[in-house]
Amino acid sequence: MSDTEDTPSFDPVTVFESTEQDLRSGSDDCYKCSTCDSVCPVASVDSSFPGPKFQGPEQWRLTRKEDTEIDDSIMGCSNCMRCDGACPSSVPLSQMHNTARGAYVENQRFVRSALAALRSGELRRGASIVRDGVSDLRERIRNRLLANYYTAGRFASKLPRVANAFTNFGPTRWLLERVLGITSERSFPSFATQTFREWWTERGGAQLENPDKRVAYFHGCYANYNTPAVGKAMVRVFESFGYEVLVPQQRCSGTPMFANGRLDDAKRHAETNVESLAEAIADGADVIASCTSCSMALRQEYPELFDLDGIDSVGENTYEALEYLRLNEDLEAALAETAGDAEEFAYHAPCHARNQGLDRQAVELFSDVDGVTIEDVGDSCSGISGTYGWKAEKYDYSMAIGDTMFAEMEAAAGEQGMTECPTCAMQMSHGTGYSITHPLELLADILIEEQSASSNG
Amino acid sequence: MDTKTEVLVIGGGSTGCGIARDLAMRGVAVTLVERGTLTDGTTGRMHGLLHSGGRYAVSDRESAAECISENRILREIASHCVEPTGGLFVSKPGDSEEYFERKLAGCSACDIPTELLSAEQARAIEPYLAHDIERAIRVPDAAIDPFRLCVANAAAAREHGARIETHAEVTDLLLDGDRVVGVEITHSNDNGMTGSTERIKATHVVNATGAWAGQIGAMAGVDIAVRPSKGAMTVMNCRQVDTVINRCRPKGDADIIVPHETACILGTTDVEVDDPDAFPETQWEVETMIETLSELVPILDEARTLRSFWGVRPLYEPPETKTSDPTDITRQFFLLDHADRDGLAGMTSIVGGKLTTYRLMAERISDHVCDRIGVDGVCRTADVALPGSENPMHLQEAMESFELRSPIARRSVQRLGSRSSSVLSTSDPNPVICSCEAVTRAELEDAITEVGTDLNAVRIRTRASMGNCQGCFCAHRMAALLHPDHTVETVRTSLEALYEERWRGQRHALWGEQLSQAMLTRYLHATTMNRAQSQTESSPTVAFERFDGGDERGD
Amino acid sequence: MGVMSVAIESDVCVIGGGLAGMTSALAAAETGASVRLLSHKKSTLRQASGLIDVLGYTPAGEIVAEPFEAMGSLPNHHLYQRVGSQAIHDGLALFDRVVGESYAGGHTSANALVPTYVGRIKPTARYPAMTAAGLASDRSPVLFVGFERLSAFDAPYVSASLSSDGMPAPTRGVTISAPGSHRPDTRLHRLVHALDANESVSTSTGEQPIRIALARRIESHLESAQRVGLPALLGLENAPNVRRDLEQFLGVDVFEVPMGPPSIPGQRLEHQFLDALDRAGVHRATGNPVVAFDADGDRIRRVFTDRNGSSVPYEATQFVLATGGLVGKGLDSDRTALTESVFDCHVPHPEDRTEWYGDNPHTDQPFARFGVSVDADLKPHDDSGSPEYDNLRAAGAILGGTDVTMELSASGNSLTSGVRAGRLAGERSN
Repeated sequence: MSDTEDTPSFDPVTVFESTEQDLRSGSDDCYKCSTCDSVCPVASVDSSFPGPKFQGPEQWRLTRKEDTEIDDSIMGCSNCMRCDGACPSSVPLSQMHNTARGAYVENQRFVRSALAALRSGELRRGASIVRDGVSDLRERIRNRLLANYYTAGRFASKLPRVANAFTNFGPTRWLLERVLGITSERSFPSFATQTFREWWTERGGAQLENPDKRVAYFHGCYANYNTPAVGKAMVRVFESFGYEVLVPQQRCSGTPMFANGRLDDAKRHAETNVESLAEAIADGADVIASCTSCSMALRQEYPELFDLDGIDSVGENTYEALEYLRLNEDLEAALAETAGDAEEFAYHAPCHARNQGLDRQAVELFSDVDGVTIEDVGDSCSGISGTYGWKAEKYDYSMAIGDTMFAEMEAAAGEQGMTECPTCAMQMSHGTGYSITHPLELLADILIEEQSASSNG
Repeated sequence: MDTKTEVLVIGGGSTGCGIARDLAMRGVAVTLVERGTLTDGTTGRMHGLLHSGGRYAVSDRESAAECISENRILREIASHCVEPTGGLFVSKPGDSEEYFERKLAGCSACDIPTELLSAEQARAIEPYLAHDIERAIRVPDAAIDPFRLCVANAAAAREHGARIETHAEVTDLLLDGDRVVGVEITHSNDNGMTGSTERIKATHVVNATGAWAGQIGAMAGVDIAVRPSKGAMTVMNCRQVDTVINRCRPKGDADIIVPHETACILGTTDVEVDDPDAFPETQWEVETMIETLSELVPILDEARTLRSFWGVRPLYEPPETKTSDPTDITRQFFLLDHADRDGLAGMTSIVGGKLTTYRLMAERISDHVCDRIGVDGVCRTADVALPGSENPMHLQEAMESFELRSPIARRSVQRLGSRSSSVLSTSDPNPVICSCEAVTRAELEDAITEVGTDLNAVRIRTRASMGNCQGCFCAHRMAALLHPDHTVETVRTSLEALYEERWRGQRHALWGEQLSQAMLTRYLHATTMNRAQSQTESSPTVAFERFDGGDERGD
Repeated sequence: MGVMSVAIESDVCVIGGGLAGMTSALAAAETGASVRLLSHKKSTLRQASGLIDVLGYTPAGEIVAEPFEAMGSLPNHHLYQRVGSQAIHDGLALFDRVVGESYAGGHTSANALVPTYVGRIKPTARYPAMTAAGLASDRSPVLFVGFERLSAFDAPYVSASLSSDGMPAPTRGVTISAPGSHRPDTRLHRLVHALDANESVSTSTGEQPIRIALARRIESHLESAQRVGLPALLGLENAPNVRRDLEQFLGVDVFEVPMGPPSIPGQRLEHQFLDALDRAGVHRATGNPVVAFDADGDRIRRVFTDRNGSSVPYEATQFVLATGGLVGKGLDSDRTALTESVFDCHVPHPEDRTEWYGDNPHTDQPFARFGVSVDADLKPHDDSGSPEYDNLRAAGAILGGTDVTMELSASGNSLTSGVRAGRLAGERSN
């Protein structure tokens, strides 16, 4: 823009500088019914949180282009995205929250604006910017650390045993809480001694080739570094149905980054993911995720927030693992012939699965399997929402939200839990002491044992 | 009841309030009477453009020069009513290049600063501009809130001793031979005077009723041939642009988009009407505006509109001119001295003109009136800030002191200006009552203290009920604030008046989201509140014993 | 890739998860059919009061004490006339089975009179047990209690307004501050949750369970009141316990005044229906809209939901359309026309948009009657009067022809059409 050559008599209006995205028109859809507020888990436990209706359509509609300040309450949102699934009028609520959060975090970068203030002689303003910035610094560093689990996981996996010992070592946790505000109430997830990708390489990659049935597995960080058993189950199940499984190059899906307003980081990772997944799609594969937050990110947040080549195609061709099998195989018939091991599960549907319309599929699928009892523990949020429950100042809220689910789990017949989401699993286990299974693991147990049994017999 | 004043001003629009302020500041005793609430006539029914003068730079350079000079003054004295948005004159393929050049030259001749922009530069400022625009001229247009402006003028007049009487309709002019000596008014407000008449004696009467000037003139047998012309305006739900967008071509319907508070207002049409109180509000006008302006900003076509409203321009031309097309009638104002013109002393009428130059018009009329009544007074209206604009308040300060969320603080402080502290500093909980427009209880209570039970008067001061829900979720909350100072009956009547006013404009936006909104409003008010049937119920007493008396077996 | 070979099958597929859709699904399941319920978003139950209105006013605007006696005043094209009073009874009976003890009103055929949150008196057929002590026909003295931050419910005004409408009981209203620490914009659900969980709050006399703290604040205003009316926010899952605790402490009856969105009674009702659907074995898929369908002549074969470009097929022998009206988005409109959003069924409406509305905001408004027109079997008709599809029925607010807001019959219409459409669909699918 070269608009400063002449007539400096009035200043140009700045175009939504920090976000480049004007979502005010999203408020056109809002008829103010407050259904979004009625499903917001944070608003029901945190008195200082003004709810998604304010954060989304109201705040955006009240915004003028020259307004750069975003109300700090946006950082209270846990990014569970339940408001999206609730809104009868399809207001793009989470897109509004994500964009506003990104702008808020961008505004926290204080050095540049402080220098600008100082240069223009506004000493007091510069000083106050620095003061506010420094006081936010701890939170920013903490959030950045939490958002970049991918990086932490990569380092920890080099020396998993040391990492496990160190991260849950009492003094370390005390320091992390005091210095960074990461709650010491929770145990860090342990890192696997062999990552999923290491296992994949070791086994020599795909065991079968099939140009007609090909899927690209987006394992995400957690199944790679922490629960490779889920990834292995995915591979076993899909191979048992005759799929060729690809494991393309990938980085973090971005979910924890969106939740912490780190859109730049998320975009960097998205570039790698979209490029390699789009390539797999071009090779005839569909993209499969086992983590419902990862599939959510690829399907919804990517096209809403970024403009990258192939991003729409990735969104349209991404599926959750069970969803995909159900749509492409006669899974119900396959399951009808099987029997489980007299197992009882308390199943929790992650909010991000709910948003993809997947909240009932595990219950529906397994309820007909002999010997398997699966009970839906209701539609409440687990409360952890990825990184939210790890923040010291949010821990109590996180547990208050989780209380409903804990109580339902205790009331359910099963003494073990089931969910698709790794952080919901942490919360379920933290609140009840149950061990938590991924539906793919159960599916692998039932189907593959059955198949090997029948082939043996 | 008989009362006296020096100058009586009829009409509570921008002109009348401007005159009242001007005269009061010169020490003249002024009474202003308005049949409805302030701005009820033309002032409250315009698109809120503070002209840079660019629009008149080709056709009427005198007006253009007046506009830019008044534009500069109002940014100073009415900063809490003005948003310095800037404006663009945008040209599309097929629009006359010669006209574009004349626009530039005209602006330059009238001392209107301009900047020539390429299409890319214009789109960098307003990303939603159509892809085929060719170029644009940037001018210092601005958005102005006519309600706040008018109210601030009235408040200033009152501070200088003026009496401002709303809901007071002039039912007759008092004549003494061929001299106007006052007016008779009938009160319709709720302060116990409803239905009563009052005779106000005055040394001089100023007829500032604009499109209604002929009706006042007729009371004294003088002919004022106003040629009222209606113009439609459509209110969008949110802002598609933050700059005033004008189509750069000679006069025509639907050629301007004005960002106004949370919305954009599309304007307008120009059709002569017989009666400024009764004229058709037609659908083609709304369609034309959306369709034509979508050529400049394509997303308008799919965007939600909240309502449409019509204003009546008080156009006037000397009887011998006989212009056939109302768009050709001058926008200049005319001072009609009835002593010279009709041999009727004691009254001056003012017709024509536009909001941007209201202060200048008021100054000229006040000069004339002072001359007639023999007062030496100097106009100070250009140098003294209006109430609310004296000390622009820093936003940061506001947020910290009022504990409001930042967008709510921002909008509240922009509305209240230097009155923010006195209005918003409250030790009581101060919830937002109108969440669309971010209006808190404290601001509403302040407005109610000022204007009483007329919720439409409260609305124009605060913007409460002017957002997407159009009163669905706030009208009843606003009304309840009148209780217990006022009776249940008054609360209900006031609520109905507001609800009906909101409906009047909303009818013209009933498709898509606004139709859903209207239906939701209907469910809520008719079903959940049971207001509709209760309102019109034929038998007011219910036979309670015929209904379920509860389950005695317990629950 | 992406070509779906396996559709998800059921006998009956209901589209729309509001009161009518859930009722249809339950009624279909009762016939023994396998049922799939597809819904896009949270239903409009959270916007409605939770009261079940069958008929509150006659077309002439007279208040109705006995809805079944007043049916005769309705025009012939009215749903109630078309399907007969047995279907209305069936709808209410299904509702009563779903809600059990949590609702009252089923003991009589007469309407009850319930105070609304703006202080008017409203006739209704079923009301939550949480509201039962609030009947306007009861003569025992009432204290209405509102909260400072909750501007929608102004208790002193509600009290004054009800008196002015002739409510026989002596009433008073008082505004208190809610226990616990809150900001002016703390959401309603924060207080609901705190009461549900009986959180501990700090008060001037130390830490207390919030229910006790609330009761104490009410107690000092009680005087001779025998009933206390509060805005409907007394908890969700544990609402009966919240009320019981308040009643025990105060020694008087406690009731809720239903409020409009967000509606806590509506949310409770939604949960009860979802539980009933689970018990009935209805399969649900929620979160994605139905955007396309396959038809084979006059039969719909399957419908497709969409998730950002990927689609899921649902196959069934019978379909029920219960997508709601203008609010529930079963109807779409633009500047030129009004359409039914899934199957593009015929929706009669004036071509000229100026005929969509009237001048008085309350009285006759044509848009309030917009919707599909159906036969006695609830099959939507095309503009020539024959069924759009042989295996498609419609229920709830998508039905046109009647302004349910003026006669107070929205829930009655949903239950009646829901039970009939669901039952017919279930029977025809076997």
